[in-house]
Amino acid sequence: MKFLPSLLVTALLLATAPAFAHDERALKAAPPGEPYVQVSDALPLPEFIPGLGTLFVDPKTLPAGPFLAYDHDGKLSATIYMTPLEDLQNGTAYDGLGIGSHTVSSVDIYYNAGHPGVDKPHAHIVLYHDADAKGRLAE
Amino acid sequence: MMTGRRQFLALGGGLGAALLLPRALRAASVEVIEMRGTARGEHIWFAPKALAVAPGTTVRFVNRDKGNSHTATAYHPANFDRLRRIPAAAEPWDTDFLLPGESAEVVLQAPGVYDYYCIPHEMAAMVGRIVVGRPGDPGWKGPAPATDDVSAAVLAALPPVEEILTLGRIEEVAE
Repeated sequence: MKFLPSLLVTALLLATAPAFAHDERALKAAPPGEPYVQVSDALPLPEFIPGLGTLFVDPKTLPAGPFLAYDHDGKLSATIYMTPLEDLQNGTAYDGLGIGSHTVSSVDIYYNAGHPGVDKPHAHIVLYHDADAKGRLAE
Repeated sequence: MMTGRRQFLALGGGLGAALLLPRALRAASVEVIEMRGTARGEHIWFAPKALAVAPGTTVRFVNRDKGNSHTATAYHPANFDRLRRIPAAAEPWDTDFLLPGESAEVVLQAPGVYDYYCIPHEMAAMVGRIVVGRPGDPGWKGPAPATDDVSAAVLAALPPVEEILTLGRIEEVAE
């Protein structure tokens, strides 16, 4: 059964494939380039949103994202997902979502009543990429 | 009539003069309704959510929510083909999206009940009601009836006209 460990490795790689589906280094600094667009360029939202930072998203991935969140110095600080509660309740699953960085120091999940781009009440799932990220995105 | 922020700034001197008027006259000049929200956007609201004003009052909508944009949009066919919930004689208005710190003004002349909403937050029942004048005023139009055009949550969020007239202004309870 020598093939079993390699089969497991292959299965694990396939299961995590979306996380590898980009050049992580290219996303470390803003702007991340195509297909990402700056949210404030496409929607009536502040360029820097307190708590979330400067957001970039691939429009094809809306509403869930990933939204790439950069601090004032253009450093990738968090990856954020926005999942409408009604859609989840109706059976929609958001599987295999990409991630801006494979380093995650902590995760916050909270309710948001809506905003341009994701009007439905939804959850924000925020993956911080270093211990100081939350502070840098705060204001 | 609606004026944007830049127009308002140009009128700043006139506003200063208006603030010097006696209280009875000032009451019909400018009222401010703020768009507010919690830091993480769990809750958003108009403050006050209901207001009684005299005919001819200018209402200034100001976005005080640092992390969100808002609109104040009258329920009217001219705005996204919604059913009318303002007096028939009134001019419909839509402030369009106001970013944090931005403002827009509207002058409310026709007596009656005006219901309005925030475009991206109507689903979260971010709505407001303004009562202009009082029942019995010439041309007075009472509140629009319940319809399928607005959700039960929106209707529940609109305070009764009598309560607004009694209190003058009603703030969001969760504030």
